[in-house]
Amino acid sequence: MIGAEGVAAGYRGQPVLEDVALQVREGEFTAVIGPNASGKTTLLKTLAGLLKPLKGVVYVDGRRVSEMDVGELARSVGVVLTENVRPGLLTVQEVVALGRYPYTGLTGRLKAGDRAEVLEALGDVGIQHLADKPYKVLSDGQRQKVMVARALAQKPKVLILDEPVTYLDPKARVELLLKLRRICRQRKIAVIASLHEIELALRVADRLLVVTAGRVEAYDSPEEFVEDGGPVELYEFGEDAGFCAETLTVEVRPQPSEGFKVFVIAGAGRGAPVYRMLTRLNIPFATGVLHEGDLDYFVAKSLGGKVIAEKAFHQISLEKLEQALATASKADAAIYVSHPAGPINAANTVLAEKLIEKSVPTIVYGDAAVKACWARVERLRELEDILKQVAKQEGRGIPKTYLIQAGQKSS
Amino acid sequence: MIVEQRHRARRGAVAAGLTAAVAAVFTASIALGSSAVQPAEALHALFGGGSETANTIVNTVRFPRALAALMCGAALGVSGALLQTLFRNPMADPYILGVSSGSVLAIGVALLAAPLLGLAPDSIPSLYTAAFIGALAVTLLMTSVSGIVRSVTTVLVVGVMLGYLSYAATSMLAVLADIERIRAFTYWVFGSFSGSRWSLLTPAIPALAASLILIALLAKQLNALLLGEEYARSMGMRIGAVRVLAVAAAAFPVSVVTTVAGPIGFIGLSAPYLARQLTQTSDHHTTIPYSALVGALLTASADLAARMLLRPVELPVTAVTALFGSPLIIYLLLKGRGVFY
Repeated sequence: MIGAEGVAAGYRGQPVLEDVALQVREGEFTAVIGPNASGKTTLLKTLAGLLKPLKGVVYVDGRRVSEMDVGELARSVGVVLTENVRPGLLTVQEVVALGRYPYTGLTGRLKAGDRAEVLEALGDVGIQHLADKPYKVLSDGQRQKVMVARALAQKPKVLILDEPVTYLDPKARVELLLKLRRICRQRKIAVIASLHEIELALRVADRLLVVTAGRVEAYDSPEEFVEDGGPVELYEFGEDAGFCAETLTVEVRPQPSEGFKVFVIAGAGRGAPVYRMLTRLNIPFATGVLHEGDLDYFVAKSLGGKVIAEKAFHQISLEKLEQALATASKADAAIYVSHPAGPINAANTVLAEKLIEKSVPTIVYGDAAVKACWARVERLRELEDILKQVAKQEGRGIPKTYLIQAGQKSS
Repeated sequence: MIVEQRHRARRGAVAAGLTAAVAAVFTASIALGSSAVQPAEALHALFGGGSETANTIVNTVRFPRALAALMCGAALGVSGALLQTLFRNPMADPYILGVSSGSVLAIGVALLAAPLLGLAPDSIPSLYTAAFIGALAVTLLMTSVSGIVRSVTTVLVVGVMLGYLSYAATSMLAVLADIERIRAFTYWVFGSFSGSRWSLLTPAIPALAASLILIALLAKQLNALLLGEEYARSMGMRIGAVRVLAVAAAAFPVSVVTTVAGPIGFIGLSAPYLARQLTQTSDHHTTIPYSALVGALLTASADLAARMLLRPVELPVTAVTALFGSPLIIYLLLKGRGVFY
């Protein structure tokens, strides 16, 4: 549908981005990602025919864009740019109707067919109810949808969007991206959008074009890109944070510290929020015994925790149990996060009870059945409060007040 | 759709009201003056009836003057509407941007300096030509300035300064010229319809009508320009061609108006503003005809006021239009980046 070969994009003979090749078919969503000033906007404007390529060729539907006249180009390619528009007192419907420009005659009057296209575009984006509202009273998210509908009214084969969701709130971001993907599939148009949100891009795009420092770093499906470690390279923050390839998220790691440390008994994904909380409180942790492939396993690893893990679907071996016990005994406190117990992870309950016997201050989070415990909390908030108190005492014991309170609660 | 109907009804009422007001001001314009004529008699004289005195006063003095005010007002209103969209600036106006002063300067050169070269400068065609060259030069200059500086107010300040420069040049020319010419020139330089004679007006009528039609035909392009040039281009507009056409279409009527009546300020500013407010839209299919109506009404009223306020002394028209134009500019500036257009 739209393709580029050997394209160099730039202004006044100065290339910003060189050697771009891509091919986006109908119904396919391609996300362009890369840091600021990496040439995304320049590339998109070049693909849209708003800038002439310095080298190479852009073609739409087998036709060179440079050979198309402006009207033909407008009927083939619709764009949504980053700049704010101020269309005065025009209503949403009037703004969308401007998209019929390449189809209307000398005076620009709309015919019945044009009106139908405008209504369809409004419907596809889900803003029929805003049709008569003045554009200027809309929220940023709504305005962006209007501009998308306007581009759709051009009945394009290719839709090019420059950072369509950057200034939207998180809900509106996801909403607009999902809409774009649905429109892409239903109208069978090729969509190219630059996105800053790699976590969203990995989830909605069929292809990723990754640009950094003036060149194309990768052009792959999201899965291949992740497999090849692309995001890890793209989001290299050193020690402080890293990209977790399994959860497709950027995780912040705790600062290395010598003081208070905790051991977390978890599994089945129940530990993940606790690990995140510990990271936020800058408390280093070790955790076990997890199973490889468990969500907890990936989250704990990406947060830089020490993980004692058993092979997936294997019963926890004595060796791992002892390893966990040895590590946990050196911790200043332990947290037993209640999780479904079955034959292969029954050893975790044993681990908890051993720790309590060994006088490691153990907090039970949730309703797990243990013979005795130092404290039991129902909510993460309470867990945080206790941990803060304990950490303040340079790591020895849980204050009595907490023991009583928690004991009363649990009885 | 209900909203659309309501708007249509409202716009119909506004159009009717404006037309009635224009008719009333026109009638007053041909009736009132140094010697008053009854409105009925004035209208009668317009069609060849009435006493000989009334006939002469109405048909050789007041009718051409009223017609000039109406047509020039309509042209200024429409030209202002075009400039405001072209410059993406709700305060753009041919007077403020210096387009009128460009014409004044060019006419000044033709009128005052040309005799020194032994040319016959004050033939009517050469006045029109000179005015157009001056207006076009300033409009082109301002378009390139607005391409470089994006700030709405900076463009305005540059325009105003350009106006001062051209007045400075005009004043110097006036010093060089002989006294008889100065008297005529200085009177006209402040803007007045008192010189509207048929000989001057005859070529102006088709020229103004043609530019009104041309600008009305640009409504589609101007609407697209509301989203900015890049979007307009992406929707299939030939930016270069439209720019050239729009610059010429804005400069031409202003040059004609300036030749007829000198620089008339603030109509190009206020008429489109009021038109948008009255019709509650920025769609040029609507704002262009309404800007013409409002511009005609404002200018004819201002001319009437200029004649009547300090009788028998006549005020320059811009002295009257500034009374509402200047506060409007201050209001728009205080309101911040314009919401309108």
